[in-house]
Amino acid sequence: MKSDLDKQTDVLIVGSGIAGLQSALDIADSGLNVTIIERSPSIGGKMISLSKVFPTLDCASCITTPKMAAVANHPRIKTMTYTEVNTIRKTADGFDVDVTQKPRFINEDECISCKKCEQACPVYVDDNFEYGLGVKKAISIPFTNAVPQLPVLEENHCIRCGACARVCPKDCIDYLQEPIPQTIKAKAVVAATGFEIASMGIKPEYQGETLTNVISSLQAERLLAPHGPYGKVLRPSDGKIPDSIAYVQCASSRDQSIGIPYCSRVCCMYAIKQAMLLAGALPLGEITIYYMDIRAFGKGYEQFYAQARSMGINFVKAKVAKISEDVDRNPIVRIDRQEEGSIPQDITHDLVVLSQGILPSRKDFFGLDITLNEFGFVQSNSPTYSPAKTNINGLFVAGVIKGPKDIPDTIMEAGSAAIDAINYIRENL
Amino acid sequence: MSLLNTVESAEPKKIAVYVCHCGGNISDIIDVKKVAQTLSQYPQVSIATEYAFMCSSNGQDMVINDITNQGVNRVVIAACSPALHETTFRNALKRAGLNIYLYEHVNIREQASWVHKQDKDGATHKAIALIKAGVEKIIRQDALDEIKIIANQRVAIVGGGIAGMRAALSCARAGLKVSLFEKRSTLGGNLNRESLIYPTNQTAQSVVDQLGSEVKNNPNIDLLLNAKIVSVNGFAGSFQINFIDLDSKEQTIGSGVIILATGFDHYKPYEGEYAYKTSPFIVTLPDFTKILDQSAQPKALLYEGKTIKNIAFIHCVGSRQMDGVDTPLEGKNLNEYCSRVCCTSAIFTINNLKIKYPNTGIFDIYSDMRTYGLEHESLYEKASKNDVLFIRRPLEERPQIEQRPDGTFNVTSTDVLSWNEQIEANVDMVVLVTGMVPSDISDLVDNMKLPRSTDGFLQEVHLKLRPVELANKGIYIAGTSQGPMDVIETLNAANTAGVKAVSLLSLPEILMDPFIAVVDDDKCTGCGLCISECSYDGALTMTDKIVNGKTKKVAQVNGALCVGCGACVAVCQPRAIQVAGWTLDQFEAMVDAIAKE
Ligand SMILES: Cc1cc2nc3c(=O)[nH]c(=O)nc-3n(C[C@H](O)[C@H](O)[C@H](O)COP(=O)(O)OP(=O)(O)OC[C@H]3O[C@@H](n4cnc5c(N)ncnc54)[C@H](O)[C@@H]3O)c2cc1C
Ligand SMILES: Cc1cc2nc3c(=O)[nH]c(=O)nc-3n(C[C@H](O)[C@H](O)[C@H](O)COP(=O)(O)OP(=O)(O)OC[C@H]3O[C@@H](n4cnc5c(N)ncnc54)[C@H](O)[C@@H]3O)c2cc1C
Ligand code: SF4
Ligand code: SF4
Ligand code: SF4
Ligand code: SF4
Ligand code: SF4
Repeated sequence: MKSDLDKQTDVLIVGSGIAGLQSALDIADSGLNVTIIERSPSIGGKMISLSKVFPTLDCASCITTPKMAAVANHPRIKTMTYTEVNTIRKTADGFDVDVTQKPRFINEDECISCKKCEQACPVYVDDNFEYGLGVKKAISIPFTNAVPQLPVLEENHCIRCGACARVCPKDCIDYLQEPIPQTIKAKAVVAATGFEIASMGIKPEYQGETLTNVISSLQAERLLAPHGPYGKVLRPSDGKIPDSIAYVQCASSRDQSIGIPYCSRVCCMYAIKQAMLLAGALPLGEITIYYMDIRAFGKGYEQFYAQARSMGINFVKAKVAKISEDVDRNPIVRIDRQEEGSIPQDITHDLVVLSQGILPSRKDFFGLDITLNEFGFVQSNSPTYSPAKTNINGLFVAGVIKGPKDIPDTIMEAGSAAIDAINYIRENL
Repeated sequence: MSLLNTVESAEPKKIAVYVCHCGGNISDIIDVKKVAQTLSQYPQVSIATEYAFMCSSNGQDMVINDITNQGVNRVVIAACSPALHETTFRNALKRAGLNIYLYEHVNIREQASWVHKQDKDGATHKAIALIKAGVEKIIRQDALDEIKIIANQRVAIVGGGIAGMRAALSCARAGLKVSLFEKRSTLGGNLNRESLIYPTNQTAQSVVDQLGSEVKNNPNIDLLLNAKIVSVNGFAGSFQINFIDLDSKEQTIGSGVIILATGFDHYKPYEGEYAYKTSPFIVTLPDFTKILDQSAQPKALLYEGKTIKNIAFIHCVGSRQMDGVDTPLEGKNLNEYCSRVCCTSAIFTINNLKIKYPNTGIFDIYSDMRTYGLEHESLYEKASKNDVLFIRRPLEERPQIEQRPDGTFNVTSTDVLSWNEQIEANVDMVVLVTGMVPSDISDLVDNMKLPRSTDGFLQEVHLKLRPVELANKGIYIAGTSQGPMDVIETLNAANTAGVKAVSLLSLPEILMDPFIAVVDDDKCTGCGLCISECSYDGALTMTDKIVNGKTKKVAQVNGALCVGCGACVAVCQPRAIQVAGWTLDQFEAMVDAIAKE
C-alpha cells in the first residue's frame, strides 16, 4: 500500500467470493500479479457463510478456507479488504481504479488478533455475517475463519467508551482513523461482485419481513452451519426445536409481478441440501418442499434429488399463495395443490424458509459503460466464443455477476475469465 | 537429504499431531478432545491438539507457528481425505521451511467419523489407532526431494468440438504449442449443423466457424483431422501420443499436458422404447431439428409424404431413468442423470416450429421443466403463450404410445397440472427428447486408465476444488466429456482446462512426488526377481555397478517410469528394493501400532 509499485498490478479483481478467489489463483499461478479489492472485512464472499454445499455435501468452510488461505499466502496476490471500488476508468494502457479503504479503527500492522477488544466491548450489534440471526460486539473480528483476522470497529454503534482501547495489549485502537483513497493502475480487470438475495419483503403475501418464523434461505444456511448463531437448529421466535419445516420454492423468482422473471437456478438444489441436513439434525422432523419444478440439472444433482426423496423429504407440487401465522407464531402456508383438486389448503408449520431469488449485487457499474441485460446482470459480448468477455475491452466477468449459478459453474467461469485476462495482457500490453 | 530413510538423521524428532473437527463432520462423532489427549501421551509426540478447521488460515498458522517457534519437525494432521487438502498442508509446511514429506495425513473423516456414525466410541478408538499409525510412519520418514520433470511446452487436445477448439485457442494464445486431434474429417463435433441454438439464436455452424477459422489460422496449433489415437504413454510433463494420421501412418507426438474434449453422443433409444423404430414418425429431438430445418413446405410440416398437424414431445428419454420403471440399453446402466440441455432445447425447437408453422398443435409431456438459465425461462413462457399444451406427468410414470390404424398415435399420460386426469393426445408425430451419453472412448479409458463416474462421463477429482483435473496428473477434461453442458458452459469449462494447462506449464519443470522404488546397492544380490515382477516397461533394469570397490549386478530404477506400485518390493528377499515414503519398516510399524490398540 505504501510504495508506488503497490499501486500497480497486472490484474485487478473486484470481489473475493469464490469467483474472485479462483480467478486470482488461476491468474497468479500462471505468473502474473493480482490485486483483489473486497468491500467486506474478510475475503470469501457468500460461500464462506454457507453450511455444507451440494452436491458433494462438503462443509463450505472446508472448500473455501483453503482457497482463502492460498490467496492470502500467494506471493503474487495482494488483497485489500474493507475497501470499496468507487470508479473504474479505461485508459490507454489499461484501467485506473479509484478505491477507498474504509477505516477499521485499529492499527492493522500492530494488531495480533487477540480478541481482547471484542471481549471488553459492552455494545452488542446485529451480526450481518449471521444475516441478522445473531449478535456480535461493536468491535469484532467478523467471523471465525475470516481472512485477515482483524477486528472492525463499527463507527455507528460504538459509544466511544474506551473499553477496547484500555485492554488492547498493542495499543492499536485508533478512533480517529480516516478513509484512505487511492488509485490503482491495472492492465486488466476481472469483475466478480456476485449477488444479493431478494429482500424478504419483496412479496408482501409471504410477510417475510414481519413473521419471525419465516426466514430466508441464507439464514437457514447459518442455522445449519457448524458455528451458526445458535449452535443448533432452533426457530427464532422462541428457541423451540422445529418439528415441521417447510420450504417455499421460487419464493421470489420466476415471477413477473415482482420483476424477477428468471429462474434463480440454485434454490432447488440448496433447498434439497438444507432439507437433507435438517433431516440429519432433526431425525423426527417433517420437512416439506413446495415447488413448481425441481431443477436438478447439474452433474450428480438428479441422484442427489433421488436421495432426498428416499430420505422421506416431502416434495409437494404446489404454489404457495400466502403465509400468515397463528397465535403461537406458527407460520400457516396456504397452498394451491395442483395434485389434489383446486381447493386451497392451509398447512401449519413451525418454521418456513423462503427460497429467495438472486439479484445482481450492483446495477451501476463503477462509472463504466458496461452492457447489462434487462435483469441487471453483466452481459457477455461473445457468449458463444469466449463467455467471460464484455463490451469493455480488458474487463472480464466471472460468477453470479453474470447471472445466478452454483459454485461448480462459478468456478468454471472464474477459470474462463482468468485465461481471457492472461491472454489479453499477453497480446495487448 | 537422502532418498530413503536409510540413515538415521541426527536431529531429534519432534512430532506434532493436529486433530481437525472439520466443523462437526468429525467432532460430532469422534471425541476429538479425547483423541488429542491420548495422542499427547504417546511417546515421541510433543504437541497434540485439536481445532475446528485445520485447513483454514488459523489452522495452518498453528502448524507454521509450531514449526518455526517450537521446533516441530514432523507433522501429523488427522482430518478429511488427503485428496482434499494434502496440497494445502504441504504448502503450509513449505512456507514454514519444512520438507513437505515430513507430514503425514490421516483420514479420520471418510475412514472413521463418516462410516461409523452409529458407534461414536468405536469411531474415536479407530481414529486414535489410525493416528498412532501415522505417527509411527512419520517417525521413520526423512526428508525427500521432489522429482523434477522437464515439461514439454506442448498441449495435446483430444476432440475438435467447441470444447477442444476453445481450449486449443486459449493455450495457443498463451504461447503454448498445441496438437489438436479430431477423429473425424471436420471440426465442430455435435454442433456441426445448420440449426439454430439457444440462447443466442444463431446457427450452430456459426459458432463452429468462428472458433474453427481461428484454430486453422493460429500458427501455434497443429490440427490433426482424421486422427486415431492408438495409445498414450508417459506422465505429466512428458506424454507420448501415438496415433494414426490421415495417411494411415503411425506417428508419435510428445506433450506436457493432455486435454480430453471428447464430447458426447446423442442417446439412441432401443427398438420399441417409446415405440422408437416402429414407425418413421417416432423421431428423436436431434432428428426432428434436422427435419424442421429441411422442410421447405409453406403451411405445415411435411414429412415422409405426410402433413404433420399435431406433435407430442416426450421429455427425459434416456435420461433421469429409474430403477423398476425404465429399462436400460442392453449391457448399459440406467442413465440416472439429467441431460441438462434437452428441456430448453426442446422448448426452443418448439418455439422455432411455431414460428415456421404456427398452426401445429403441440403437446409437451415432461416431469420437471428445467429451463434454468437466465434466458431460458422466457423461452418457456413464450411456448406457453404459443398455445403449447403442457402435460406434466408424475415422476415415476411414463407416457404410453399406441399407433392407430390410420398411422397416427395416441399418446396417453397422467397430467398433474389438471388434477391427475388421464390425457390422451392424438398426434401425427412423436418427438423423443433424447439427452446426452458420453461418447465412446473406452479405448482411451482403458489405455490411459481414466476415471469415469457412475454415469459414464469422465470423473473430475473434485467438482469444486479441482473441477477439470483427473486423478492422473497433467490430464484435464473440457466440455461435455465431463457431463452434460450447453455451449456457454462448455466454453467456460474448456477455458478452465486451458488455464490449468497454462499454469502447469508456466514453469519449465513439473514437480512429482518421489514415491518410487529405490535400490540399496549393498543389499541387492542381482537376482532379477524384481525385474520380472515390474509391469512398467523400462522402470527397472539390471546394470553393472561398482559397489564397495567391486563390480556387481544390481537392479536400477528409472525414476520417470516407475509408478511406485511396489510389486518389486514384495518379491525382493534381502529387502534391497523399497518404495520411498512407503518403506516396509514404515508399514510394519503402522500395522504394529494399529494391532496394539
Ligand atoms: C442460500 C444459498 C445456498 C447456496 N448453496 C449452494 C450450495 O450448496 N452449492 C453450490 O454450488 N452453490 C450454492 N449457492 C450458490 C453460491 O452461493 C454461489 O454460486 C457463489 O457464492 C457465487 O460466488 P460469487 O463469487 O460469484 O459471488 P459472491 O459470493 O456474492 O461474492 C461476491 C464478492 O464481491 C464483493 N463485492 C461486491 N461488490 C463489491 C464492490 N463494489 N467492491 C468490492 N467488492 C465487492 C462481495 O462482498 C463478495 O465478497 C447457494 C446460494 C444461496 C443463496
Ligand atoms: C439435442 C441437443 C440440443 C442442443 N442444443 C443446444 C442449444 O441450442 N444451445 C446450446 O447452448 N447447447 C445445445 N446443446 C449442447 C451442445 O451441443 C454442447 O454443449 C456442445 O456440442 C458440446 O461440445 P463438446 O466439444 O463438448 O462436444 P462435441 O460437440 O461432442 O465434440 C466432441 C468432439 O470430439 C471428437 N472426438 C471424440 N472422441 C475422440 C477421439 N477418441 N479422438 C479424437 N476425437 C474425438 C468428436 O468427433 C467431436 O468432434 C444441445 C445438445 C443436445 C443433445
Ligand atoms: S469504544 Fe466502542 S468499540 Fe470500543 S469497547 Fe467501547 S463501544 Fe466497543
Ligand atoms: S485487542 Fe488490540 S491486538 Fe487484540 S484483536 Fe483487538 S485490536 Fe487487535
Ligand atoms: S432453482 Fe428452483 S426454486 Fe429457484 S427459481 Fe428455479 S425453479 Fe424456482
Ligand atoms: S433437461 Fe429436461 S428433458 Fe433433459 S433430462 Fe433433464 S429434465 Fe429431462
Ligand atoms: S515400484 Fe512398481 S513400477 Fe516401480 S520398479 Fe517396482 S514394480 Fe516397477
